[in-house]
Amino acid sequence: MMNKNKMAMVLFIASEAIFFSMLVAAYVYFHIGPQQGPGAADVLNPYKTGFYSVCLFSSSYTIWRAGCNRLASRRRTAGWLVATIILGMAFLFGEAREWDDMIHRNVTISRDLFGTSFFTLTGFHGLHVTVGLIMLGTLLGMTLLGRSDEPRWDAMESVSLYWHFVDAVWVVIFTVVYLWAFL
Amino acid sequence: MSKHPSAASPSSIREVEEYQGLLSWVSSVDHKQIGILYLLASLFFFLFGLSEAASMRIQLARPENHFLSPEQYNQIFTMHGTTMIFLVVMPIMIGLSMYFIPLMIGARDVAFPRLNAFGFWIFFFGGLLLYFSFIGGGAPVAGWFGYAPLSEKAYSFSPGQDYWAVALLLTGTGSIASAVNIIVTTFTMRAPGMSIWRTPLFVWMTMINGFLLLFAIPALNAALVMLLVDRNLNGFFFQTSHGGSALLWQHYFWFFGHPEVYIMILPVFGIISEVIPVFCRKTIYGYGFLAASTVAIGFLSFAVWAHHMFATGIGFPMYYVFAGASFLIAVPTGIKIWNWIATMWGGSIRFATAMLFATAFIIQFTVGGLSGIAFAAVPIDWQLTDSYFVVAHFHYTLLGGSLFGIMAGIYYWYPKMTGRLLSEKIGKVHFWLMVIGFNGTFFPMHLMGLYGMPRRVFTYPDLPHLGALNLFSSISAAVLIFSLLIFFYNLAISLYRGEVAGDNPWEGWSLEWATSSPPPPHNFEKVPPIRHRRPLWDYQHPDLPDPVFEGTRHDE
Amino acid sequence: MVSSPLLPASQQAQSIYDLFQIVMVIAAVILLIVTGLVVTAAIRFRRRPGDALPRQDFGNHRLETLWTVIPFLIVTAMFVLTVRTMRQVDPHPIDRKPDLEIEAHQWWWEFRYPGAGVVTANELHIPVNKNLYYRLTSGDVVHDFWVPQLGQKIDAVPNHPNYAWISADAPGTYLGTCAEYCGAEHAWMRIRVIAQSPEDFAAWVKDQRQPAVSPSGMGIAGRGLFLGLPCMNCHTIAGTSAQGTVGPNLTHLASRQTLAAGVFDNTSKNLARWLADPQKFKPGCHMPNLNLKPNEIKVLTAYLEELK
Repeated sequence: MMNKNKMAMVLFIASEAIFFSMLVAAYVYFHIGPQQGPGAADVLNPYKTGFYSVCLFSSSYTIWRAGCNRLASRRRTAGWLVATIILGMAFLFGEAREWDDMIHRNVTISRDLFGTSFFTLTGFHGLHVTVGLIMLGTLLGMTLLGRSDEPRWDAMESVSLYWHFVDAVWVVIFTVVYLWAFL
Repeated sequence: MSKHPSAASPSSIREVEEYQGLLSWVSSVDHKQIGILYLLASLFFFLFGLSEAASMRIQLARPENHFLSPEQYNQIFTMHGTTMIFLVVMPIMIGLSMYFIPLMIGARDVAFPRLNAFGFWIFFFGGLLLYFSFIGGGAPVAGWFGYAPLSEKAYSFSPGQDYWAVALLLTGTGSIASAVNIIVTTFTMRAPGMSIWRTPLFVWMTMINGFLLLFAIPALNAALVMLLVDRNLNGFFFQTSHGGSALLWQHYFWFFGHPEVYIMILPVFGIISEVIPVFCRKTIYGYGFLAASTVAIGFLSFAVWAHHMFATGIGFPMYYVFAGASFLIAVPTGIKIWNWIATMWGGSIRFATAMLFATAFIIQFTVGGLSGIAFAAVPIDWQLTDSYFVVAHFHYTLLGGSLFGIMAGIYYWYPKMTGRLLSEKIGKVHFWLMVIGFNGTFFPMHLMGLYGMPRRVFTYPDLPHLGALNLFSSISAAVLIFSLLIFFYNLAISLYRGEVAGDNPWEGWSLEWATSSPPPPHNFEKVPPIRHRRPLWDYQHPDLPDPVFEGTRHDE
Repeated sequence: MVSSPLLPASQQAQSIYDLFQIVMVIAAVILLIVTGLVVTAAIRFRRRPGDALPRQDFGNHRLETLWTVIPFLIVTAMFVLTVRTMRQVDPHPIDRKPDLEIEAHQWWWEFRYPGAGVVTANELHIPVNKNLYYRLTSGDVVHDFWVPQLGQKIDAVPNHPNYAWISADAPGTYLGTCAEYCGAEHAWMRIRVIAQSPEDFAAWVKDQRQPAVSPSGMGIAGRGLFLGLPCMNCHTIAGTSAQGTVGPNLTHLASRQTLAAGVFDNTSKNLARWLADPQKFKPGCHMPNLNLKPNEIKVLTAYLEELK
């Protein structure tokens, strides 16, 4: 039987998957058919966002490395966790720049349906990334300052699962919002 | 395991040392205390829901009545639905689950006691926030289902709608937390020997319910955040004037809303499956089919949502699919009725109050289920949806079904929770008045619908029959409410003057009866060995052992 | 006038009623079986002192399969009947222009006859024995058009026009109502359908196509007042400068049976009461209280009651 903390995280992720599916479905629903006002293709830059996306995707690798090193070397675990956090923050930074750019060009949540669905979807994703960063920070704190058995393997794995999920959601969002607009 | 109280344990919950003082309750992470907190909070909100119902029935007693203004009535019916669903029935389901799952599986507590406490308090504060709206600018007024664009700012200016959305996000978060807790507890904390095939049906049904909560509530959450974006950040998701979609709201809401109604009945199916066998002295008939049909309901419940939208013009292909699925889901739901009747058949039935409620449940839920099947027939829905016929249907399933089942559960389990039996004399008065009051209030509503009365109306014109039917319904509602006051009295008085229950007053067979009433904080001194579905049966009937069902590697 | 799906007055409503009867009979039989079994069990197996322990019956796969398969067959049969009735009630034409356009508003109904160029409110006239195709829209929130004796209900969804059929087998008045909660005055968004013989209907259309009657006596002052007050910003009276489209068309107000979508019978007295304070009789409706003086109300009422 699966460890209870991991199971809890898997179940939670399942419910969050439904939540994001609804927001993605809304975006898709309003994106099919003729658009009024600027749409994704006019406003988004898949190259810039692609770069920041690569940061987020790479952070899945770094958190895996952190998990591998948990028993072997606390120093290396901490290092990989720091890398994950930096990559996650880079992603958020890129997201913030993109939002700022769009808002300055008057593409806002209240301008039209593209704006409403785009900002809601990416906003909630960004919120989930932020929560993930807080959890990673907690793991880092435990690695640096905690007892020799902290963080526990199931804590590490649960947070990893969450982080991978947040990553997977971005894969979907990037495909549906950025790639679809340009293909 | 005896009927008599265990030697050293208190015979009343009021005497349990660990439960003394308000702080012990407010800071508790004990699943039993939290379960009781859920029940008490539900009772608290139930009083509001009943007051709202009473006001509505007074207003509707006569045609073109002026007891309530339209604005008042509309706030009240919105709050009545929202309260009864989110703040009464659901918390009772979760409360009973949290109290009894660990006991029935021989565990010490749930998997995540602190998450359990979190789930309760965020639900409770969500409920308080919802009611704060009355003094915060006005209660929500767009119905419990908040259809857009009526629920958008342009048509519902008052902040009540925002209170509604935020409050439901809070209670919804609590529900998801509880669902995770229920599932993990059921999967990982069963006592040695309790394979899934030996698990009590109440635990099966509440576990499947956990999955329904897990997948349905996020859909509501998504819809609510989209509505909040529209209302507060000037978004356009549901603003039809700017390309938004009214139907999108309905799809999202009912994707949640349909599983929601199963969320409100599955644990009750579990209660009935526990109560009937004990009071008939017979094992449940067809455990396997009962468990499997519930799994089927779990899946199918996500495939029928658009039967709430047959009159919206989404097109015949959709209607065919959803009518088909809706007819289909009637099968696993309905066959349970046969199982319960077969359990009664050939039994030795003792009509304690719990059994009276369980028996009434079977008939009343069947009425509700049959009116539901009528709605699956799309053209009938085209006539009767949004009329009082629907109001009759869902009150038969939710009140005649869920609430009566909950009553059975309370009369059955109150002794375990408090150490005292509820008065059977008062219970019988409660029961008969409730049956008369309930059926008198809601059966005429089938006819009101058939005489063209739409629902969600603060008044109606003096058309033939409507006045008489409504008056009869309102008078019966008074009887129903009176019966519930008798119930509340029974709850209170029995705490102080109820007969001492002992460990196992009903000679039940599941593990909660293998410990004192109330159980000690750690639940069990010693969990009996589990080789069968009815762990205590063999102690009571050593000459007639239960057959051994699929076990685990822990079996001797 | 009973407004009930049990008194069908059109082919459509009759088809639905037929299906309803079949389903109700099946439901009644099932309920009788269940109740009968429960009551019998309750009496026959009631515990008596000295009762032995009952035989522990764990189930019977064959019986349970049987009582799963039989309900499955019953619901399949009902599904087939459902599909058949759906097709009878709502056959979908391809490419047919609607005979009627219905637009729902908070809290009144706008009826347009595109072919005849007629616009009216709350009271729908139709010729008997003709299946009319209508297009249903909403100007604000979701409403629902329901006239039980004449057929199905269907939602008026903003941004999503719906199409359905309406007909009546015999002349008469058929009552309906809005059947989707649409706000404060949802209860008073009543519908009145008047089915007429072809001749009577043609005469009605002819009258409705005329511009507004020229007033006489007090009515002249009334018209002057109407055009000077905010009234004309919301209401249309054909042939005058009042061309507002926010509220109901009043060109032939006096020809209707009710006022304010069913709140009142259409009499001078009621109209005067309404004009004095619409919010008193339909609180929340979008017609403000204009604080009219009694003699203003008198002349306005006189004018409006001339508009046959």
